[in-house]
Amino acid sequence: MNEPRVRLQNAAMYYDALTVLGQPNFPMAQNEKIMNQPMVRFENVTKRYGALTVLDKLNLDISRNERVSIIGPSGSGKTTVLRMLMTLERINDGVIWVNGEPLTHMQRSGRMVPANNRHLRRVRGQIGMVFQHFNLFPHMTALQNCMEAPVSVLGLSKPEAEARAADLLDMVGLGEKKNHFPIQLSGGQKQRVAIARALAMRPKVMLFDEVTSALDPELVGEVLNVIRKLGAEFDLTMLMVTHQMGFAKEFSNRVCFFYGGKIAEQGSPDQLFGDPQNERTRQFLSAVLEAK
Amino acid sequence: MLSFGVAALAKGMLVTLIVTLGASLVTSVLALIVGLMRVSPIKPVRWLAIGYIEFFRGTSLLVQVYWWFFVLPIFGLALSPWTVAIFGIGLCASGYGAEVVRAAIQAVDRGQYEASIALNFSRLTMMRRIVMPQAIRALLPSWGNMLIELLKATSLTFFITIAEFTSAAKLAADTTGNYLLFFTVALFGYYIIARALITPFVRWLERRLSPGFVREAMA
Repeated sequence: MNEPRVRLQNAAMYYDALTVLGQPNFPMAQNEKIMNQPMVRFENVTKRYGALTVLDKLNLDISRNERVSIIGPSGSGKTTVLRMLMTLERINDGVIWVNGEPLTHMQRSGRMVPANNRHLRRVRGQIGMVFQHFNLFPHMTALQNCMEAPVSVLGLSKPEAEARAADLLDMVGLGEKKNHFPIQLSGGQKQRVAIARALAMRPKVMLFDEVTSALDPELVGEVLNVIRKLGAEFDLTMLMVTHQMGFAKEFSNRVCFFYGGKIAEQGSPDQLFGDPQNERTRQFLSAVLEAK
Repeated sequence: MLSFGVAALAKGMLVTLIVTLGASLVTSVLALIVGLMRVSPIKPVRWLAIGYIEFFRGTSLLVQVYWWFFVLPIFGLALSPWTVAIFGIGLCASGYGAEVVRAAIQAVDRGQYEASIALNFSRLTMMRRIVMPQAIRALLPSWGNMLIELLKATSLTFFITIAEFTSAAKLAADTTGNYLLFFTVALFGYYIIARALITPFVRWLERRLSPGFVREAMA
């Protein structure tokens, strides 16, 4: 965790905050305001599936470069938080903000209206996601998996995209495997390719949805090591749903315990794991520890 | 007598091959278009595709062919038997094919769509680069079925004056009286087209489109 930031220069190349601030919709006068704004803000966000309320008026601010772990029993709505932020789920009420700008809505003649597809695409470009089941493209090699979006979405030339993809595959320790198809890779390798693929889009926010849950126990470590490395080398805001309590404790700045569609308790890892205040949190943590 | 029969059969075989090839092309293109329309996010486009599919699947191929051939001229549009044969069969089969395309598209793992959204692909890029390459690979076995069905359906074009393989066999058998020989040859004739042309072609396509899939090793 306390690795020196050896590749900081490299990281700065990838995540140049100034490029955002230079965008036309962010006039210079607003720059300071934006830097102080949370990177992600959930404002009274409600998600329902039919009669079932999965998330009930969620309010959550995540600061720039903060690492937040989301824990909780299944069905508590924790994965839904990530899926809403990635726009894989529509929200029923409230607003999600990314980098000072509404994601789920857009301003039209002074009123907030639901975002159209164009707006969604523009704002969600700042977000990357890694999935529990990898979701690599099976008909493409590791390298092609990492090149496809930079070429067809960002408009990079093939050589540029290839250099970027090869760099990132090296970073996740898979330089040797870049021409392998997903079927030829182990679960841990697939997940590392998936991380490289998401990073190739140079997101500012990375979402990790139970990224080690589908892995054999001996492969969990290699994926967590890559995530540690991201923390050390990149300017990234990270939001992860995880069952790896040890990793959550070690890696995150803040842990949120979800229960019944609400944040039942949140705090620093030491606070939440060491001295949980909420009865539900205590029950959950002792149940998880017992299982080990 | 026998040599006349053989010549008629050879000519019939050629006609059947041409109609099959033409109709297969028409079907493949139309089925792909209509299948994609069938899963369009735009409702009217979807409805149009449903109407198309239900019409061409729900009515008789022979009646459809009759209609193009005998009814269209009433409205001043006289088509040649060849045109009617190729497009008539192609249109009808594409109704079935469109459903095969839809099933294959919808069978592509949900995670592939979600990854495409997370990587911010446009819908068009997602369909073109991620979904369709997987869907087309998955639909090929059914496509093989469909092309073989289509091959056999070409015998109906006899009713619009086309001397294809079946009618040639019937003619040869009637003329020579050798029903055993000519209808046995006809049986094998279709079998050979299906087995020696269509199946290997579809298998070849499957292999070509299979990098990265397990079944590559099993094909």
